[in-house]
Formats: sequence, structure tokens, C-alpha cells
Amino acid sequence: MTYTLLHNASTINYALAAVVLPLIASIINLLLPGKSGKVSGFISAGAILVSVVLAAFVFANVWNNPLIHVQQLWFTIGATPVYAGMLLNNLSVFMLLLVTVIALPVHIYSTAYIKPAEQNRYFTYLSFFCFSMLALVVIDSLVLLYAFWELVGFSSYLLIGFWFTKDSAVQANKKAFIMNRIGDIGLLSAIIILFAQFHTFDLVQLFGDNGLVYRSDVQNGMWVSPAGQMSEVWQYVAFIGIFLAVAAKSAQFPLHTWLPDAMEGPTSVSALIHAATMVAAGVFLLGRVYPMFNVYELNTLAIIGCFTAFLAATIALTQNDLKRILAYSTISQLGYMIMAMGINAYASSLFHLATHAFFKCLLFLCAGVIIHEVQHIKDEHRLDIDPQNILYMGGLRKKMPLTFIATVVGCLALVGLPLTSGYLSKDSILIQAFEWSDGKSAWYKIVPVSILLTSCLTAFYVARLIFKVFFGEFKLKEILPNIHLHISDGSWAFRIPLIFLSLCCLFPLFSLHPLLYEHAWLHKGFVPTDYMARESIYHTIIPAAINIASIFVAYWAFAVYIQQRKLVFSQTNFLFRLSYHHWYIDMFYQQIVVKAVLLLSNGFFWFDRTIVDGFLHLLQRIISALSGIAAWTDRYIVDGTLLVITQLVKLIGDFFRGFQSGRVQYYLFSMLAIVLAVFIIKLLI
Amino acid sequence: MMITLTYYLLVSAGLFSIGLYIILSKKNAIQILIGIELMLNAAILNLIAFGKFDQLKNSGQTFALFTIVLAAASTAVALAIVLNVYRRYRTIDPGKVNQLKD
Repeated sequence: MTYTLLHNASTINYALAAVVLPLIASIINLLLPGKSGKVSGFISAGAILVSVVLAAFVFANVWNNPLIHVQQLWFTIGATPVYAGMLLNNLSVFMLLLVTVIALPVHIYSTAYIKPAEQNRYFTYLSFFCFSMLALVVIDSLVLLYAFWELVGFSSYLLIGFWFTKDSAVQANKKAFIMNRIGDIGLLSAIIILFAQFHTFDLVQLFGDNGLVYRSDVQNGMWVSPAGQMSEVWQYVAFIGIFLAVAAKSAQFPLHTWLPDAMEGPTSVSALIHAATMVAAGVFLLGRVYPMFNVYELNTLAIIGCFTAFLAATIALTQNDLKRILAYSTISQLGYMIMAMGINAYASSLFHLATHAFFKCLLFLCAGVIIHEVQHIKDEHRLDIDPQNILYMGGLRKKMPLTFIATVVGCLALVGLPLTSGYLSKDSILIQAFEWSDGKSAWYKIVPVSILLTSCLTAFYVARLIFKVFFGEFKLKEILPNIHLHISDGSWAFRIPLIFLSLCCLFPLFSLHPLLYEHAWLHKGFVPTDYMARESIYHTIIPAAINIASIFVAYWAFAVYIQQRKLVFSQTNFLFRLSYHHWYIDMFYQQIVVKAVLLLSNGFFWFDRTIVDGFLHLLQRIISALSGIAAWTDRYIVDGTLLVITQLVKLIGDFFRGFQSGRVQYYLFSMLAIVLAVFIIKLLI
Repeated sequence: MMITLTYYLLVSAGLFSIGLYIILSKKNAIQILIGIELMLNAAILNLIAFGKFDQLKNSGQTFALFTIVLAAASTAVALAIVLNVYRRYRTIDPGKVNQLKD
């Protein structure tokens, strides 16, 4: 027992150190002078390297072992003690390890990707971002969860607007921040409702085995728990709050539009935000509060996730910006995860989160290398092109073989072809989606079918991306025939992260069996121990069908874009425009929501200016008039009286001063006069 | 004809009045001093006239002598003041020496 306690204590300490190290690195970078350049990068990368080691150690100790929960009293409000502490269970240590492992290659990559002059500021933000996310996954209380949830949003705001001199970057980070605020409000309301119902913020007490949430139930329209009861409605309000929070952070419809705009940040930041930190926070939150959802709420999640996946995939089909394609694919994959949560495929959702983190990080880092090199061409030849536009690229595979291979690996994982990690996780979601819809009404089939369709769309846009960027001829050569390309895969700081992440995108990291997801250790870690895989026909059909479809679609894309066969649809029809303009959602927000808000603000401004200010002005005038009267009274009545008195005194004084002429003879004469007067009066009387 | 006390007193009163007039009207400190001397002499005349009624101790004459001495002393002091006033103000018109009024 003593051994276990000591063991736990050291595990907790290591976890704490893993979380706090990036914060320390951030503070050191903050204090370093602005021109320290590369030093900042090494400090942050070193901190995250140590965090990886510690997180791996913590992971090895906690994974599939009983959870470790330490807490101590933070403060007391009335009779309610609020505790702060750490909760290490499978979910937290998995996230802890995932975030650090993804952050490490991103840090290494950033040391080369960001200009040395900007590195100090960049790594201050980046380390702080990592700290916020790491802290978010290990803390045990809803209050702290909210705090770090906000910090993740705030630090992402800093990073998205890293190049703050660009107007579009400023707009993008503002947009991301405001949309996240909507989610934050949702989370806050949900936390307040949960506290009102259960009188605790403790995640273990709330959502642990046999926790308060499990023992609460809806009876006769009342939401009853051991701690209290309230109307059933509040349970749904709490769900909506949580959903808003998840939708904002994990970019689900209708709050997904910030994420493509967030591409304005440095590509390395996009890699981190899209892989393991920011967007994963939403899925992680769902994982934390999963027990509180009832079947209707889960269905809502499934539908929204499914719709978002489909929506984003259709948009990605027609985008020309390299990073935007990847951004929409992220939204699409997040849709998969949310849907997986909704169909009770909890383990698959987190499994997909992990595999997606690796391949999406890889793809973004590849995109970063490509953009970096195209920017190089642009600067060298003084061209006026957008370095992120895939229409200007082509034939890059000969110049950048490593990037090409890494991108292909990442894309295969994204499509979910066999031997990649994406195959395992994606097919597990698809299979369970079909199993979930079995035995329900036919309408439920829409979810798995549309998700299947989304997979085909994914294959198409991924193939389009690869063919446009890496195959064919370099497009600028058609305009400038004598262009010379001095581009390569870049330095070791680019190559090592790409190689590392490429290897992580293959199946051996997750499962020894390349085809059966049930064998993946990660998947096993999140399913109940008595879970029995239902061997249905889907397990054979779905992977085969999806792979054949994907390959066919990819070939189609090859035919369209490389062999230039006219199988393509016109670029003017409605569907194309719908996709190209992101389903007009942004435009809708701009036209309706933003305008309405502006109108409302203008109304309030008018109210403020006219009514409130007017009232104040009136008040001010009244006071002014009153004080005018007071001033007049003071000046003419009070001062006047005093003036009269003083004048009188002066007059009298002057009168008597007249006698005091200083002439001795005059005094004598007056004395004589008085004596005579007295004498005469004496005689008369 | 017997010279009675009344005549003395009349002469004395006349002297006194002349002195008083000189003091009040003259613009020269020396002349005012002369006026004061006249008034003193009027008083001395009175003392001597009244001294007739004290033949034994002759207190009238004694006081007269005292007064003469005192008058001489005070005149000396007064002249010294007049001299100083003149040095300071370059005038001995008492009407112009009025700095003490404020």
C-alpha cells in the first residue's frame, strides 16, 4: 500500500512537471530579450522534449491501471468546498501523451520555419498554448477546466494573429476568439447547471464510476439526482451548453467558420491547433462529460457530426488554398469524431482523435514546407502569386521527394487506406455507425450512408490535392518558361518531424494487426472490459467497399486532373458555387448575424447616445442651473452683505482716521476746543 | 493803588492765551517753543502771585524756581528734538512732520 502511494505520488509529480514545464519555458521566453532568436526555440523545444518523456512515463504508469486522483482544498464558498487537483485516468494520460508527442515535432519544425527575429514571441505563445492544453487534460474540476478552456482559446487567439500586421490575420483571430466565446458561454452555463444540480465541480464525483451523473435520472419530467432535482429542461440546456462549447472549439456546424480563417496563423501553429490541441479539446470535453448524455442528445451529436463531416468535405472539394483544403478536412474529421461519440463509439472517437492528430499534423507540416518553398520561388522571381494556391503548383514530387512521400502517407491515412493508422480508426467508426443504425428505423441509415459518402469525397479532394501539387508540370513554367526552381525538402528541422510523423501514421504504432481495429491497444483502453466485438457482416463489407470506392475516386481524380479528361463538371453550376463559397455560411453570418449585431449595436449606441447621455446631459444642465443660482446667491447676497459690512467699517474707520492727522498743533487745537466746549456746556447747565 | 491778585492773574491769563495762540498758529517749532515758554511763564507768574499767601515757607517762589529750571531743561531737550527733526526732515514745520499718524 505504501509502495502504491509513493508510486502514485511520483506519477502525479511527473505529470505536474510535464504540464508546468512548457509554462516555465514560456515565462523564460517572455523574460528573454526580444532578439534572443534561436535560443527561445531551444528552450521551448527542450521543455516539450522533457514533457514528452515525463508524459510517457506517466502514461506507462496509469494506462489501464486504476485512476489516480489527488486534490486539495482550493477555497470555500459558504459551506461548499471547491477542490483543485489532478485526475489521471486513461483519457487524461492518453491526451497528455498525444499533445506532447504532437507538440514536439511541431516545436522542432518551428525552429526552422519561423524567422529567428520572431522566434522569441512565437515560442512564448506556443509554449503557453501547450501548457494550457496540457493543463486542460489533467485537471479534475469543472472550474479549472473552464479556466484552461479559456486559456486555450486565448493562446490560440495570440497564435492565429501572430502576424498581426496582416489585416486578414487580425480579422481571423478576432473571428476565432468571438466564436470561441460563444462556446465558452455554453460551457459556463453547463457548468453552472451541473453545479446547481450536483453541488460539486469534481469530475470524479460527477462522472466517475457510480458517480452522481450515473445515479441521476429523469422521472416524471424532473431531473433527479442524489443531490437535488430540477426540471428536465435544464438537462437539455446543459447539453446545449456543452454542445456549443464543443462546436466552437472543435469547429462543428454551425460554429465551424473560424477554423478555415485560422489558417492565417503560421503553418506550424495550424498543425498544432488542428492536430492535437485546440480542436481536440472539444472532443476531449465530450469524453470527460460523456456519461451525462441521454439517447436524444447522443443522436443530436451524431447528426451534427455527420452533417459537419459531409459539409466540410464538400467544401474541401473545390478550394484552391492548400491550407484551406486541409482545414476543411480537419473539420470533416472532427465531424467523424463527434458523430462517433454520438453513436456510442466512444473508443473509436478517441482512437480517431489520436490517428488524426498524427496524420493531420504531418499534412500541415508538409503544407508548411511546400508553402515555404513556393514563397521562396515567389521572392526569388518577384512574382505576384499566392504561395498557398495549389493552382500555381505542380510537379513538385521530383524536387521534394521526402515531402511528397510524407504527404502521400498522410493522405492515405486521411483517406483510410489499409496499412495506415487512419484505416483502423476510420473504419472502426464506419462499421460502428452501420451497427448503430441496425435495428432502428430507416431514417437512421442516413448517418452511416452519408458518412460513407463523405469518405469518398475525402478520397477525391485528397487525390486532387496530391495531383495538383505533386504531379504534372510546375504551372508557373507555362507562364515563365525559363524559371529555375531552387527548392528542396529543407533542413533537418523540416525532415526529422516529417519522417517521425510519417512513421506514426502507419499501423504498427496502434495495432499489430493492420486490418482489425479491435486489436488496437488504444481502442481497447477505452472500451469496457466486457466489451465483445459483434462480428457482423459489416466488418468485412465496409472496409472493402470504402477502399474500393476510394481507389476508384482517386483514379477518377487522376483522370480528371492529370490526364485532363473532360469528366469534370462545369465550374459554374450551382453545386460548384455552393462548395466554392463554403455553402455561403460565412456570407450568411456576414449578412445576417454580423449585420444584425451591428444594427443592434448601433441601436444601443443610439440609445446610449440619445437617451442615457441625454438624461445625463439634462441632469447636468439642471445641476449647472442650480449651481448658477447658488453662485449668484453667493456672489450677490452673501458676498454683498459682507461687502456692505466691510464698506461700513471702512467708512467708520476712515472717518476716525481723519482725526489722526499726525499734526501736533491740530491735536492741541482739538483739545482746546473740547475743553472750551465742556466749559461752555458746564456754564450753560 | 494796590496791585491786587486779580491783575496778576489777568496778566498771567493774557500771557497764557498769547502762548496758546502762538502754539496753535505758528508754523515754526522754535516759535512754538517760545509759545510754550510764555505759557510756562504765565504759570510761574501765577505761582509767584499765589506765593504772597505763604510768606513763611515761600513755597510759591520755590516752585517758581523749580519750574524755571524745569522749563530751561525741557527747552534744551525740545531744542535738541527740533534739531534732530530738522536733520531728518529738512523742516521744522510741525504740520509737515506727521509720520506718526499711521
